[in-house]
Amino acid sequence: MKTDSIRRAVRFVGLVLPLTWAPRAVVAQGTATCSSYGVGVTTATVNQLLASAVVSAGELMAQGQAGDVAVPGFVTAQNVFAIANGGGDDGSDAVSSATLGAVNILNGLITADGVVAIATSTIGNVDAEGSSLANLVVNGVQVDDPAPNTRMDLDGVGYVVFNEQIRTSTGITVNMIHVVLQQNVLGVTQTTGHIRVGSASSSVN
Amino acid sequence: MSRLRAFAGVSATAVIALVGWSCETNRTALAPSTGKPLFHFFEFQCQPLKMTGGGRIDYPPGSADKNPPASHEYETFGAHVMASGQFDQNGVCVADKGELEWVDHRPEMELNGHPLNLHATAVTFAELAVDTDCSDGAVHWGGKLRVQNTGQENLDFEVWDCDNGEPGVGHDGFAIRVIEPIDGLGDYAVMCPDPSLPPAEPSCTLTGGNRQFHPTH
Repeated sequence: MKTDSIRRAVRFVGLVLPLTWAPRAVVAQGTATCSSYGVGVTTATVNQLLASAVVSAGELMAQGQAGDVAVPGFVTAQNVFAIANGGGDDGSDAVSSATLGAVNILNGLITADGVVAIATSTIGNVDAEGSSLANLVVNGVQVDDPAPNTRMDLDGVGYVVFNEQIRTSTGITVNMIHVVLQQNVLGVTQTTGHIRVGSASSSVN
Repeated sequence: MSRLRAFAGVSATAVIALVGWSCETNRTALAPSTGKPLFHFFEFQCQPLKMTGGGRIDYPPGSADKNPPASHEYETFGAHVMASGQFDQNGVCVADKGELEWVDHRPEMELNGHPLNLHATAVTFAELAVDTDCSDGAVHWGGKLRVQNTGQENLDFEVWDCDNGEPGVGHDGFAIRVIEPIDGLGDYAVMCPDPSLPPAEPSCTLTGGNRQFHPTH
């Protein structure tokens, strides 16, 4: 009985008390930021970001939506939702998403009837899980479930990257469809613009 | 300096040995009993808390596997709640603030030609669930919402919100029920009352995103 009591006392001193000495700085404190948007087009003459949501450090949530969006000549889409979620003042997590239906890019060159981009960042984990493309068709050819960073050339246009995932040490950007517009000028290929559809970014540091 | 190091080394060794001696071998330890019904989100405490994040659920069935994208059988959302652990005069554990944005992409849930979109106009209660398997924390919370498709307002809702570690996908859970019928749809709930689905019924398993429980704020 006496030995048990001594053991209990030693356990308390050896295991419990040190926990109380841990400095408060051990509690994770970070800065979380995230953003998402349905459609973004940048060229020399066009600069549009449609249905966007941005959460800055310390903020909790933002959202943007649109029933129909159009950047004439470049993109049309329906039912666009962008939601961004931060962790607030302790900034240990950030999740953003962009969803779209009935996407049509460059007058039918690329179509999809469901786009989901999700970017998730927590301390120690970054992923794009939950992102997807439904009924993706490129130049009349069905493309099923493209792997991350799948690149396809588009004759006379440039190229497209599907399920583009750009990782940094603190976060991730997901562009489910990223068309890079290019022109050949005097034998030199030049990038002239970008079309991004279904973009989500998140970061925690 | 070297004496100090030697002393520290001997002391650390002695402490480790002493603590090791104090830990008894539990020869009667048993594995958790299985085969009995598991019930979750029935016991609550009113405590300071915060839950944040968002993501995706593929309901039905609400398991960790994504449905085929072309089926459009999924929901996406963002949601957070904060509470100070205070009761009001009616005994309700009140929420300090919160938001919910919910989009149900299932074709059969469309209203006026658009995906069902629910938007919380008030978050009124939040209580810590203490009987779940959610390793980091679980919260039952709710309030009032508006159906963005039709403008129908002041519908009561509740959610079951579970942070079951990292990553959120395949681990965390979320479920929602709108208490009054939605015009044009009727009763609406995305709940997974299946004890075999981790982590805690009725929450459905995330297929994307994360729920993050913060014990206090």
